[in-house]
Amino acid sequence: MRAVPTQALIGAGVMLGAAGLAFGAVGISSDAGYAGVGPNFLPWLVAGLLGLCGLFLLRQALTGGFRPMDEAEGAEHGHWPGFVWVSAGLLANAALITSAGFILSCALCFVLAVRGFRAAEDRLDLGLKAWLVDALVGMAISAPVYWMFTKALAISLPGLTQTGWL
Amino acid sequence: MDLWNNLLQGFLTAGTPINLLWALVGCTIGTAVGVLPGIGPATAVAMLLPITLKVEPTASMIFFAGIYYGAMYGGSTTSILLNTPGEAGSMVTALEGNKMAKSGRAGAALATAAIGSFVAGTIATVLVTLFAPLVAEYAIKLGPPEYFLLMVLAFCTVSAVLGQSTLRGLTALGIGLAMGLVGIDQISGQARYTGGVPELMDGLEVVLIAVGLFAVAEALYAVLYQGKESETQNKMSSVHMTREEWRRSWPAWLRATAIGFPFGCIPAGGSEIPTFLSYGTEKKLSKHPQEFGTVGAIEGVAGPEAANNAAITATLIPLLTLGIPTSNTTAILLGAFQNYGIQPGPQLFDKNAALVWALIASLYIGNVMLLILNLPLVGLWVKLLKIPKPPLYAGILIFATVGVYGMRQSAFDLVLLYAIGLLGVVMRRFSFPTAPVVVGMILGPLAEAQMRNALSIGEGHWGVFLQRPVSALLLVVVLAVLVLPRLMAWWKGRRALSAA
Repeated sequence: MRAVPTQALIGAGVMLGAAGLAFGAVGISSDAGYAGVGPNFLPWLVAGLLGLCGLFLLRQALTGGFRPMDEAEGAEHGHWPGFVWVSAGLLANAALITSAGFILSCALCFVLAVRGFRAAEDRLDLGLKAWLVDALVGMAISAPVYWMFTKALAISLPGLTQTGWL
Repeated sequence: MDLWNNLLQGFLTAGTPINLLWALVGCTIGTAVGVLPGIGPATAVAMLLPITLKVEPTASMIFFAGIYYGAMYGGSTTSILLNTPGEAGSMVTALEGNKMAKSGRAGAALATAAIGSFVAGTIATVLVTLFAPLVAEYAIKLGPPEYFLLMVLAFCTVSAVLGQSTLRGLTALGIGLAMGLVGIDQISGQARYTGGVPELMDGLEVVLIAVGLFAVAEALYAVLYQGKESETQNKMSSVHMTREEWRRSWPAWLRATAIGFPFGCIPAGGSEIPTFLSYGTEKKLSKHPQEFGTVGAIEGVAGPEAANNAAITATLIPLLTLGIPTSNTTAILLGAFQNYGIQPGPQLFDKNAALVWALIASLYIGNVMLLILNLPLVGLWVKLLKIPKPPLYAGILIFATVGVYGMRQSAFDLVLLYAIGLLGVVMRRFSFPTAPVVVGMILGPLAEAQMRNALSIGEGHWGVFLQRPVSALLLVVVLAVLVLPRLMAWWKGRRALSAA
């Protein structure tokens, strides 16, 4: 039987997570009071459950793959350039939101993510006009959202200025 | 009668202009997220959880409930008109709905779906009105051992019984439980897995996990694996049913309501099973079996849609009376209650009677609103289907940001959001279910507290779960749920073997 490397990696990952939980559980008190089990009981239980699951997943992966399992949805191979565009958008948003403000930062995320999806459709357009149009659309979505949350619901979101409009 | 007084009070609360407005906005957003691919009710409610910081509980629960069942109405539009399978609940509708649309009867399919949803939703709401207080009255007598086992039952059905693989379901549950461990232990007050980070004391944010697993993972998955897929759309026809179609839809709606409602009440994880059951029943009983799978049979749309709505409405019974969520969306609704410091359960009907009855009344109002939104205005929603994928998903990411950032104002949460999104992509690619993660995370800490309270009652002995009749019975049910399906599979295998 054929081993499936990615799936084996997932099984190993789950076991690693279980080990992490168990490592953390060592430091949790076992003081049980009347209950007989203390705050460390569930952590050990979950660590055990995940450890076992990881082990069985690993075994399935090494003996022909997870089962029962249907064919995964979508293409056989991932479109990684598109993935990088969208990831860049999300991480840029995380990096810039406090300094550039919600509207601009989200518009940038929008523009980059649109590039990714267009790339995945093989219709990537890096021309200046496409950038501008997408930036405007992005702002047309993020600005009303920003105003609705900050003005109507009084939930604070970061702005570039103190005016409350940008 | 007390019940009618309560309900009347509920209507008075839900009927104030501001609450009606919340219901209308909720139903509208719900229909929109139901129609749009790539975003469902669980994601939408999760993204909007920050409003619990400012909006009063009654209004926001009415709003969230509107989104919850609005999405069920909207989902059918997409599954009938688009030739791609949508969410699990409306997948069955797509079977016949698509066929009907292809043979030029999209309008009739949409009509029977919307009216069927209304009929089933309204009947189910009447049943919730009648039974929820009774269940709550009974549930007040349950103690920690019983609650703990009910929660274990919910865990088992969500992770081990539904879905393809018990192993992957349990793994997902373990991940959810592990996430739920982070924060202050409810009973001893000890911090667990916080690594000294003060933000983690309150635990991981529900918004972060839900939006990461659903919205961000969905977007990343779409860009990675579904870029080349192009969707084709069926032609609309006028939304109208002939006398014959009415005659064939009625019995299907009623049968499906009878099938869907009980499934929603028990922790059996939402609407997959009842919709399939209803489809099977209609196919068997139909006088026009030749239409199934060929030109499309109207019963095959009417039944599953009604079953779906009845089940969805009925999930409110375990949520409100026991505090036990049985699906992604109800788990997040429980999170919304918790944000207000309200713990759903039998006491809810005493302590927060005004809120509960306003919520129930809003279900009646919402169903009427949704019927209007989805029948005469269906053309409007069809236009949403024309939005191309790139701006749609990129736009969803903006809403994901506002939900997560709005909750805690932390840019680091956005990095975590991305990480959870990656986890979601891996889970989806290798077909790990996500519902156990969300249910495990939200219900895990509650179940742990009940378990330790139960053991305190039993003075540290596990025998406490066996000594009480109701809890012993529940234990048997849990074991049956785990063992019976396996036994049946084994039996079938043996029969097949001996037949060969």
